[in-house]
Amino acid sequence: MKSKQTPTWIILNILKWVLLITLLAVAVLPVVWLLISSLRTNLELQVSPFGWPEKFQWKNYLTALSMASLPRLLLNSVVVAASAVIVNTIVTAMGSFILSREQFKGRDVIYTILTAGVLVPVISFMVPYFSLITKTGLYNHLSALVLVYTAVNIPVSIFLVTAFMKSIPKELEEASIIDGCGFFRRFSQIILPLSRSGLVTAATFCFIYSWNEFVMAMLLTSSIESRTIQLGIKFFTSQFITDYSSMYAAVIITIIPSVGGYIFLHDKIIGGLTAGGVKG
Amino acid sequence: MQAVGTRNSRVWAGRILFLLPVSLFFIFFFIYPFLFTLATSFTNWRGIGSMKFNGLANYKKLLLDPTFRKALINNIIWALSQGFIQVPLACLIAMILVRKPKGWRFLRTAYYLPNVISTVALAMVWVAIYNVNGPLNAILGVFGMEPKNWLGNPDTALFSVIFQTVIYIGYFMIILLASAMNISRSLYEAAEIDGASTIQQEIHITLPMLRGPLVTTMTLAMAYGMRHFESTFLMTGGGPAYATTTMGIDLYLKMDALRYSEASTAGVFLILMGTVVITVLRKLLGKSDPMSEMAQ
Amino acid sequence: MLRNLKLVVVLMVFSLTFPLFAQGQSDTAPQKEIELRWASIWVGNDSKAPAVEALVADYNAKNAGKIKVVVEPQPDYNAYEQKVRTSLAAGQAPADIFTIKFNPTTATFYGSKLLMDFSTTMDSDWKATFDAGSLQQSTVDGMLKSLPMETAILPLWYNMDAFNKAGVTTLPKTLDEMFADFDKVKAIGMAPTSQMTGDTNAWTSMIWFSHFAVAFGGTDVWSKPFTDPAFVQAATLIKKMITEYSTADAVGLGAGGSGGHFLAGRTAVFSNGPWYAGRADLAATPFFSSIKIAGLPAAGPTTDFMISRLQANICAASSKDKAKEAAILDFMKYLTSPASITKIAETSGAMFAIKTDYVPKQELQKQFYTAANSAKTTAFDLEAAMGSEVTLEFAQQLGALALGKITPEEFCSLVDRKIER
Repeated sequence: MKSKQTPTWIILNILKWVLLITLLAVAVLPVVWLLISSLRTNLELQVSPFGWPEKFQWKNYLTALSMASLPRLLLNSVVVAASAVIVNTIVTAMGSFILSREQFKGRDVIYTILTAGVLVPVISFMVPYFSLITKTGLYNHLSALVLVYTAVNIPVSIFLVTAFMKSIPKELEEASIIDGCGFFRRFSQIILPLSRSGLVTAATFCFIYSWNEFVMAMLLTSSIESRTIQLGIKFFTSQFITDYSSMYAAVIITIIPSVGGYIFLHDKIIGGLTAGGVKG
Repeated sequence: MQAVGTRNSRVWAGRILFLLPVSLFFIFFFIYPFLFTLATSFTNWRGIGSMKFNGLANYKKLLLDPTFRKALINNIIWALSQGFIQVPLACLIAMILVRKPKGWRFLRTAYYLPNVISTVALAMVWVAIYNVNGPLNAILGVFGMEPKNWLGNPDTALFSVIFQTVIYIGYFMIILLASAMNISRSLYEAAEIDGASTIQQEIHITLPMLRGPLVTTMTLAMAYGMRHFESTFLMTGGGPAYATTTMGIDLYLKMDALRYSEASTAGVFLILMGTVVITVLRKLLGKSDPMSEMAQ
Repeated sequence: MLRNLKLVVVLMVFSLTFPLFAQGQSDTAPQKEIELRWASIWVGNDSKAPAVEALVADYNAKNAGKIKVVVEPQPDYNAYEQKVRTSLAAGQAPADIFTIKFNPTTATFYGSKLLMDFSTTMDSDWKATFDAGSLQQSTVDGMLKSLPMETAILPLWYNMDAFNKAGVTTLPKTLDEMFADFDKVKAIGMAPTSQMTGDTNAWTSMIWFSHFAVAFGGTDVWSKPFTDPAFVQAATLIKKMITEYSTADAVGLGAGGSGGHFLAGRTAVFSNGPWYAGRADLAATPFFSSIKIAGLPAAGPTTDFMISRLQANICAASSKDKAKEAAILDFMKYLTSPASITKIAETSGAMFAIKTDYVPKQELQKQFYTAANSAKTTAFDLEAAMGSEVTLEFAQQLGALALGKITPEEFCSLVDRKIER
């Protein structure tokens, strides 16, 4: 490592940090802005979007916290997002296993059709989704959202998880076949643990999507008992007036669980797995 | 023979059992809605009342519509920017972070933050950034640049909204980072002994090993670029003069005007068009099946 | 092997049935009373919310055991509209009672059998409480599938503090006076008006354009082809307003930005409906008490008119169940009664198509009522008259017009292509 302290190395290192910090600034800026804006008044915000609060408006957080049924909405969001992640992960792990590790005619066709789903603008499927959910009697049930969120994330999950499972060396599996492992043991004891980082990545996307989704939640539910936190946030937006500062306070409050969920999935699950990694 | 037959049928039973749940979800939430959309695209349905078959009239109208053609070109620019700017940038960052520089865990979370917060807030921030009196012009003014109305000028609006999307690399960085972390350390150790520099290691080990995941993320990025809708709609509404309209925005506005059959046509076209663009690009990248590369 | 098979089957069954366990509570309790679901937008921080909530509670108390109105709160108006059209397209009424913004696009809903036709169920006493013109506007091919409830006028708002600073003390009476005043405002380094071409309707500029078009082409201007000289003249003027008498960011600006300029005192004249008068952030501005509401100064052959619209029409789901239909009508009658409307108006300052004796106490809201009552005639704004497609094209091409990429004539013929005949 010491031998690398050449001028080129120093310049590259500086460039590296300039890039990392620039991207960091751009990424953190909206969050910082949200935090500051959530402590300003609506008038301040309208008059100059960038600015320091004249006086910290902590009451915006009180308004956000006094949002009707906040605990219920949060609980619903947790139930929906967690259920969608669990169902989606199980379903795609099983499907991806067949699509990546088994050889049979028609496999590639199935794979292509499933992954073509990533191209679908889900908004154009609103009418059929609404029909499907009302006809099955699931309208205004949390399970409607679980089903839709699971389904909408299937193409991406299949895409990612299949790719990960494909990259597992064949030798590991062949050895297990010689050992007499059957179909199911190959899945549960060889492939599943080895593709954990792929599964967690897919699960992260599914979780974030389910946590932030608004359009379908609005379409498929009608009462507090089955609504998610995103609908709660939107109650600061009425036909003519949006109480942005309270809404942003609510956004900040709702980001905390999702960032927490993300850090948990990534640091705890993947972190433990790839403690080795590459040294720089 | 008997034993082989049983084993074979058991394997098939397993395969079918494993594919069944994913297939059921897909049939109900993708195949059925797609067939519904396809069917309505050949009618004059306005959401209310009866549907009348009108053949390819909607397709003809769509292809002759200057707005839609504008949206199509915008979408292609969009998809290419996401595939060939956003993903390479994400890959570069993943390659840096996999070597665990100071604070890499924090950086990994921070880069993903914009994907977690609400799109409405994100759009508001960027509208403010791009405003004539906004901070971007203030910064550029230091270098002597004239203030620009970034989102209000058709010449800069598309570039501005794309930049806002492309700069947020978190989503694809996560995928590539997870793949890069799976690369065996022994490869780098061997290269180190051979005296290869860090850059040489990246070019000769990491990049080839990430080729599969790169094609995967590029495909995903382009697919997302093709169906892009929300943040631009919130920032510009597709304007001015349709400069930032995408097929997704066009589709949404068609539904807004209760032109359901035309929205269906746009949806079908978008899906088919996307399939074509992505297939062609994958061929150009030299892969018909990125998966085959990944299995070493 | 078998053990694993079992494990997988259990996993599968679990994954497929799990959603069923995660169910939300639903309306399962058996009930004798008739339940009416109202998908209400007057909830949350909407100014009509407290009064409407109290009215519903009152009604439920009076009809305990017979009828119960359940409010399904609808946040985010755009998403609500999307829900209404999606459910109607899927063959279901979005709720027993819901509201729409009436315009030629939403008039398409009248083709649906899912909506109750009030033209057959409304008695003459009830009918008499409504403004006849609004009822007429809500009638399509003899059908009355939505009742006009909330209306609005869209006047011009003058920040008189700013005008005074520029040496102007009275409102302009003619277009020439107006531009002379604007030049004085410009001279003190302030943008005269809030204009915008963003969002899907170019809201504040659309209001200005509507005023110009009606002034030059009369109250029936919207039935003329868009290539009519009145529209070309209006387009020429709106371009002048955007390029010479507004802020540098007007092209591409959204409604939030346009209103923000007025609130910040960066522009002197604004255009919007009565709902803006009740805003807390407006009341917090130093010039709040100086605001004057007025129509457009005399510009063309038509003068002393006001631009108005039907802001919320209320709809009901048609029902084969006579008892339910009667319950819906009973509640609708209660909700649209002058007594109820007065209560909503008192707390919100909104305007209604139901005749009441109510006069607002708050100064700015009073000015709205005065402006509405003193207008000789009214005409719809562009969006209310032409629907969402034409308005979208208007907004998009307005940017091109302001930037000089197209001429006013080209602008008008582009918009004209979107009009269905």
